Amino acid sequence: MTASDLQKAVLALDRATMTSEIVQATQTLCGLRNLEAAPTLIKVLGFNNPAVGAVATQGLIALGRDVVPILLVSLDVGNYGARAWVIRAIATLRDPRGLDLLEHALNADIAPSVRRSATRGLAEMELEGPSFFKDFSRCSEALFKAAADDEWIVRYAAAFGLEQRFCQNSTDTGLRTQAIAHLEQLSSNSEAVKVVKQRAKLALQRLQAE
Amino acid sequence: MELMQPLNEQQVIANLRQRDDASDRYYAAWWLGKMRSQHPEAVPLLLDTLSALSDEPVDEEDRGVAINAIRALGLLLNPAAHDPLMHMLGSKDYSVREEAARSLGAMKAKAAIPQLCQLLSGGPAAAGKEQVGASTLKEPCEALLEALGNIGVNNPDVVAVITPFSDHPRPLVRAAACRALLQLMKEQRWANELEQLLQHPEPLVRRGVLLDLGASGWTAALPAIENASVEASLKLVALRGLAEQSDDIKVLDVMDRLL
Repeated sequence: MTASDLQKAVLALDRATMTSEIVQATQTLCGLRNLEAAPTLIKVLGFNNPAVGAVATQGLIALGRDVVPILLVSLDVGNYGARAWVIRAIATLRDPRGLDLLEHALNADIAPSVRRSATRGLAEMELEGPSFFKDFSRCSEALFKAAADDEWIVRYAAAFGLEQRFCQNSTDTGLRTQAIAHLEQLSSNSEAVKVVKQRAKLALQRLQAE
Repeated sequence: MELMQPLNEQQVIANLRQRDDASDRYYAAWWLGKMRSQHPEAVPLLLDTLSALSDEPVDEEDRGVAINAIRALGLLLNPAAHDPLMHMLGSKDYSVREEAARSLGAMKAKAAIPQLCQLLSGGPAAAGKEQVGASTLKEPCEALLEALGNIGVNNPDVVAVITPFSDHPRPLVRAAACRALLQLMKEQRWANELEQLLQHPEPLVRRGVLLDLGASGWTAALPAIENASVEASLKLVALRGLAEQSDDIKVLDVMDRLL
């Protein structure tokens, strides 16, 4: 691969006007598997075109965790569409450097789909190293908050997330007790949405079977 | 009313009862349904709003309140609303017939079946006829077909009324017919029709069909829903319908993957 492949692909994208052309150019850019294409792919996320956004997000995810610092600095907070895709990419990469961003998105984002992606990310983030216990606790607290969200899909994601976060027995018992209490709440009649109850019951069964 | 102060149920009831401010009444009618109010006066007050629909001429603001009330009654599921809503199926107003059909479907009001069938009689060439200068058909066919499917009485007369609409020129009417037939007859062929419609080039059609498949509760459609070219948020809504009707853990596994 040469630098000119990247330049050619960026130029093709600049010239594209129809959705099919933009998708094509974005796919070419993704196919280069080049970290230097990341800023352009992030710019594409702001086009507010779902077909294009999906392709660019897959391309960014395919670049692996090296792309996370680039995503964190290039995030356009004012663009809802772009923000949603970046949150999704960071959640999928499970990189603990995204913790601040996902925590903030869950607390403050008005779009339920963004809070849903952030919840999944906080559930699946791969924590390690000296800050493991502190980060584990932050993820857990965030999931407890998600369990009280107004939107059913965020509460559903919280039920899924609490199961993921606590499926290993070796974790903090105080937090685990709280997690079970939140799941019990979500599976009780105080929860209005049946599918949330169904998911919380499944999580409880799986956690208590261990 | 003070700004930013959340309303309580008592205030909302009072807002619906008063006659001075139509926008307060409009919001109150919506609120009672949204919050599934169990207040004893909620249903009687909502039913009271319907009388404005028989005025000549109908006041536009009162009509808006009444249409919101019809929707709210479909959420509150109180059988006291059956007869008044069936009466609304005879309205001259297309939107009133449409919303009344949806609410009666949600309430699974078996007594409404003959009237719903009557409105659809004549098939795509009559009830389903395009109207010159309007985007609507002669009757609100999608709502009527969906109501028959939701009420769920599978008898040959009902099936004979619905089936011709599976060939209607409009894809969303075809989808409504296939969804109803799938709910009633539980035969894979109607799911196949819906899955084919899910490939439609128009995103709006794909979204509508996806929700129809979810509402049908047909778990065999799970892979088609998962792989549809529709945004994940809407797939999750469709799968919620499937999960709540089927109690199948496989549906939850797919939902987990889409979060």
